[in-house]
Amino acid sequence: MDRLDRLRGPEPPRPHDARAIAALAANPGCARRAVLDAAGVDKDAVATHLGFPAPFGRSPFAITRGDAFEALVKEGGGAELLRLLRELLGLPLPLAGYTDLADVGGNPSAHLRHSHTRRLIDRAARDAGEAATLYDHPLLRLEIAGYHSYLEPDVVAFQLGGRFHIVEIKSFAVVDGQAEPDKVAAAARQAAVYVLALSTLLAELGHDPSRVSHEIVLVCPENFANRPAATLVDVRRELAVLRRQLARMTRVGAIVEPLPDTLTFDLGRDDGGVPRRPVAELRSAVREVGARYAPDCLNTCDLCFFCREEAAEAGATDLLGRQVRDELGGVATVAEALALADGSLAPDDDRAEIARLLRLADRLYAEVS
Amino acid sequence: MLEISGTGGNHWYAPGVSETLDALEARISALRGEIRRAVRARDGALARELRAELRGAERAWDRAVAGPEAADPAAGTTERAGEPASLLPVREQVHQALTLIGAPAAARMIVAVHAALHAGSLGGGRLASLRRDEERSFRGAPYARPYYLCAALTDRLSASRGLFAVSTWPLERRVVGPLSPRVDFLTTAVRVAEHVLRLAEAGEPAAPGAERLLARLARNVPGATGGPGRPGVPAAPDPRTVVKAAHAELRVHAAADAAARADIAGRARARLGDAERLFGGLPLGLAEASC
Amino acid sequence: MSTLSALARLRALREGRAQRLATVRHCHLSDRPMVLIPLRLAGEAAAPLAAMAGTDPDHPRLLVVPQPRDRDLRFAFTAELAEVVLPYVEGLQKATETVERRGAEPYERCVDAPQLLVPNPAGVTFVQLLGRSTRFRRAEGPYAVHPSVPVLGRWLTFFGRRAQYPGSVLLAAATDLLSLHWATGQSALEDANLASLLGWIDPPPGMSGASAAREAEDPLVWPPAGPATDPGFDAEVLAPAIRAYQEAPGERAAAAVAAAVRSQLEPTWRLMWRAVDLLRALPPGGGAAARWEGDRTAFTAFAAQLAEGAPPQPRRDGAVAAAARLARMERARAVYDAQRAFDDPLVMAGHRLAGEAFTGTVVAAEPDRTEGEGRGRKLRPLLVVRTGDPVRLAAGARLATPARRGQRADVVDVAGGEVTLKIVKGMGRGTTATPGAVPQVGEVVCYAALTDEYQPPAALPAPEETPWTHGGPPPEYVPAEDDAEEDWS
Ligand code: SF4
Repeated sequence: MDRLDRLRGPEPPRPHDARAIAALAANPGCARRAVLDAAGVDKDAVATHLGFPAPFGRSPFAITRGDAFEALVKEGGGAELLRLLRELLGLPLPLAGYTDLADVGGNPSAHLRHSHTRRLIDRAARDAGEAATLYDHPLLRLEIAGYHSYLEPDVVAFQLGGRFHIVEIKSFAVVDGQAEPDKVAAAARQAAVYVLALSTLLAELGHDPSRVSHEIVLVCPENFANRPAATLVDVRRELAVLRRQLARMTRVGAIVEPLPDTLTFDLGRDDGGVPRRPVAELRSAVREVGARYAPDCLNTCDLCFFCREEAAEAGATDLLGRQVRDELGGVATVAEALALADGSLAPDDDRAEIARLLRLADRLYAEVS
Repeated sequence: MLEISGTGGNHWYAPGVSETLDALEARISALRGEIRRAVRARDGALARELRAELRGAERAWDRAVAGPEAADPAAGTTERAGEPASLLPVREQVHQALTLIGAPAAARMIVAVHAALHAGSLGGGRLASLRRDEERSFRGAPYARPYYLCAALTDRLSASRGLFAVSTWPLERRVVGPLSPRVDFLTTAVRVAEHVLRLAEAGEPAAPGAERLLARLARNVPGATGGPGRPGVPAAPDPRTVVKAAHAELRVHAAADAAARADIAGRARARLGDAERLFGGLPLGLAEASC
Repeated sequence: MSTLSALARLRALREGRAQRLATVRHCHLSDRPMVLIPLRLAGEAAAPLAAMAGTDPDHPRLLVVPQPRDRDLRFAFTAELAEVVLPYVEGLQKATETVERRGAEPYERCVDAPQLLVPNPAGVTFVQLLGRSTRFRRAEGPYAVHPSVPVLGRWLTFFGRRAQYPGSVLLAAATDLLSLHWATGQSALEDANLASLLGWIDPPPGMSGASAAREAEDPLVWPPAGPATDPGFDAEVLAPAIRAYQEAPGERAAAAVAAAVRSQLEPTWRLMWRAVDLLRALPPGGGAAARWEGDRTAFTAFAAQLAEGAPPQPRRDGAVAAAARLARMERARAVYDAQRAFDDPLVMAGHRLAGEAFTGTVVAAEPDRTEGEGRGRKLRPLLVVRTGDPVRLAAGARLATPARRGQRADVVDVAGGEVTLKIVKGMGRGTTATPGAVPQVGEVVCYAALTDEYQPPAALPAPEETPWTHGGPPPEYVPAEDDAEEDWS
C-alpha cells in the first residue's frame, strides 16, 4: 500500500466518482492507467503539467440543464418519481416514504455520512415498511485497489418487495422511445457502479447482496418536453465488466513490483499548490509504466493526448485504431508494416501471411491508383 | 430573431463608428482566446485579470454600438418590462405563499406558488439568505416579530436542507418524517386546487401560473387528471377532482405519517431550545443519531 | 476496413498526407448544394442555437436564437430556416422529365433534386430531430406556429430518413463523403472532426497533414463543426451573451449573441465549401449518377405526397413498414457496394484482397460449350482464369464482371491459382455465344462476388396483415390534437 502512496506523492488520493469508476473499464489492458488509478493519482493534473491537458469539458448549459431536470424529478418528495414508479413497476400507493440521506444538517465528512446511509439502509432491509421506500443521495463506497472511494451520491435507491433498485436520472432526451445509444450505455455503466456499491453494502451488513436488482430505472425527459419518463435497463453485463476490472486493479501489485523503487508521479507542488516538478522528469516517470494507447482513449482518459503523442513518436500502428491494427495482424509499428509491404523486410513465419497480403495490397495500390 | 447575411460585413451597426468597433471586436476576440487558454492552463489569476480587461472592452463596445445617445448609463437600467415589481418585502411574499401551501416547501415550489398567486415573479435567488436573516433577527430579539420564516426539522432534529416553514405553525407541521414529503406534496395540491376553486367561484380570473401549477401538481396525484394525461400537454384538471384524489391518497398515509411526526416533535420539544426548535438543532454527532 | 485501406492509412502517415481510396467520385455532387451547419444548445435534445445555411459560399445566412430556452424564439428560428430551405427545395420541383418504363405507365421525375450538406453524422441526426420536433406543429390552435414550420419539419424528416439509405446523397455528412475517398494517417474516430480530416487531405502549404490535423483539434483555432459547441466557448462567451440578452432583450444583446455564434460557424462554413471543391475535382463514377436518379425519384414522390396533403410521417414505423424498409436498405447496400467496385479498380482491389474478387488472364475458354440434351440444351461457356489474387470463393458462387455488366458466371472450381468459371447469363441466346461476349484466351478479366442486379423484394405481409407478434396491424395514423401541442421545452 505505501508503494502506491509513494507513487502518488504527498497529495491525498483522488476520489473516484461513478463516472470515473465506470471509465476504469474503458481500457483494461493499459498498465499505465491501472497504476495511476490504483494509486489515486490526479491524471488530469499530471496531463496538464506534462503540457497535454485533457480535452474534456462540460458546458455550463449542460450542467444547468442536468441539475434542473434532476430537481424536477425529485421535487415534492419525489412526486414525479413516485408517479413513474407506480406506472412502471406498480409501486403500491402506501409505499411513498422519501428520505434524503444527505439531509443531515451541518457538513459532516463522507465517512460519517456513509455510516448514516449504512444505518438507514440496514433498517430498511430489515423492515420494508411504507416509510422505507425512496432513499435519495445514499453515500455509498467502493473499494478500489485497497482504497475506499466514496461515490458522489446523485442517485436514488428504492425498495419494493424486498428488492432494492437504483434510479439514475439523466437529462438526455428519449425521443419516440429512442435515445442516443452512447448515452444510454454510459448511464448503464455508471448505474452499475452504484448497483455494485449497494450490493456490497448489503453484503457487509449481512443481507443477501442479490437483493439489489440488476435492472435499474433510467429516468430521462421524454420527447421534447421536460416531462420525465422511466425505463428499465438491465446492467448485468456492465456489472460483470466492472467486477472484472476492479479485481484486476487489486492485482495491480504485479505491475508495480518491477518498477523502480524511487518512481513517483508527485507533481512537487509548492505552498501555493503550483506544480514545480521538472516536466522532463515527470515525463520519464510516466513513461516508466507501459501504456496501451487506442483512439478510444480520446474519450475516456485524461492522459490521451500525451499517450497519443508517445504512440506517434514510436510510429505505433495503435494510432490508427483497433480495426487497422487487426487488419495488420498485430504488426506493431508503421515502419515494419510498410517494410513488409514493399518487401524490404523479410517476414518471420508468424508474419508470412500478413506480409503476403500487405505485399499484394502494395502491388494493387501501385497498379490501380 | 436575427439574420445577418454576408460573412464579412458587420452591417448591423451604423457606419462611422465601425473602425473603433472593428478594433474593439478584434481585441475582444483576442482576449477571449487568451482567457480560454489561461483557463485551460488552470491559470486562474491570469484568467481573472484578462476577464476584467474583457469586460472593459465589452462595455466600450456596448457604448460604441449604441451610439452617443445611449452613453448615459442611467438610460441603460434594465427594469424588466411588463413585470410589476411587488411592493411587499420578500419575506412577506414568501409568507403569503407558504400560508397558501400550508406545509414546509422548497424555494422552487414557493416561487411557483407565488407566480400562481400574483402575476409577478419572485426571484429564487432572493430566498437564499432569507432563513439566515430570520434566524439572526430571532436570536437578536426573540419573538419580536409576529412570525418568522423558519426551518423544517428532520428526523435528526437538524434544519432540513432547503425547506421553508412558518414559525406560527404547530411543530408537528414543521417536522419531516419519511412520509411527510409526500403528505406535504398532496397538501400543496389540495391547497392550490382550493385556491383555484375559490377564485372561480368568486368569478375572478386565476393568474395564468395557477392553472399551470395545478396541472403540474395534478399529474402526480393518482386519479386527479381523469385518465392518463396526454403526452406533453398540461391538461387543465378539474380542481374538485384534484382535491378528492389527493385526499384519497392522504388517507392512506395519514396514520403512519402522524405517528412519525409526533415522535420527532416530541423529541424536539424535549431536547431543543426555542431558537433550535425554529431553526434546527446543531447537527447531532452522527454516531449517536436517533434511530 | 480492408488491408488496402489499412495500408493506405499507413502510407498517409509516412507521406504526411491523406491517400486516395478511390479513383473516381462515388457520390453525386449537386451543382448547387445547400450547406447547412446547425448548432445546438449543449444539454438539450433539439434546442437550436444557430445555423449557417445557404447555397452561395460568399453569402451564408446566419440564423440565431438569442435565448435558446425560449420556445417562441425557437419557432421563429425554424420559420426562418424554412425561409431558407423551402424555396430551395420547392424551386427544384418545377422542371421535370418523363421517364418511360417497360410494362408500366411512364411517370414524371424532377430533373434535379436538392442536396443538403452538413458537416458530420451528428449533423444528420440533428436534422432528423429538428424534423421530428417541427413536423407535427400546426398553424392554427393554441400553440400556433408559422405555416411553413410543419412543412419544413416534413422535409427535414424526409431528408433525415433518406440519409440512412445507402448511397443516397440528398442529405449527406461532409466527413462521410470525404472518408469515402481518402484515407488519413489517423483513426476513424478522429476523422469525424471535419477540420482535422481536411487537414490531412488538403494541408496548408508548408505544413504536414499530421500537424494540420493536430492544429485543427484546438477549438480556439477551429471551433467544433457542431451541432455541439466547445464547452470553453459556452462558458466564456456564449453564456454571458445569452445572460445579457435575458436581462435586457433587444437588438444590441441579440447582436452580441449573433457575433459570438458567428465566430464559431464561419470557420466551418469555409471548410464545408473546401470539402465541396475537393470532391468536385474528382471525376464522377458511373454509379453515382444512377443512384442520384433514385434520389430524384424519391424526392419527386415525396413532393407529390406533400402536395396531396399526406399527414406528417408517423412517430414510428409499424412492424411491417420497418421490416420492408430494412430489407430495401439491405438491397441498396449490396447494390451500392457492387457499383462502387465496378466503377473503381481501387475499390475492386479491396475486394480482391479480401478474396471476394480476382483479376487474372484467361488461359482457356470454351465459348460454345453447352449442357443438357434436346430442347433443354443450354449454352454454358467455360473459362479458366489464372490469377495471383488470394481467391476465397466456393464452388457455386455467383459472380459478375465490370467489363460485361449483364454477365453472370458461377465458380466451378478454384485450384492452384486457376479459377474455372461457367458463364450462365449475358453470353447470347441459342447455342452459340455472341461474338465478344465470352472473353478470349489472353484477355485480362476481373470477376467479383458482387451484384448490382435488382432483386425482388422479400415477401412481407401487407401492413394490415401484421402478425400479432409484431404488434398487429398498425392503427392508421390519425393526427392527434396533442401532436401539435407537444411541449418543446
Ligand atoms: S490515454 Fe494512456 S494511460 Fe490513458 S488509457 Fe490510454 S494509453 Fe492508458
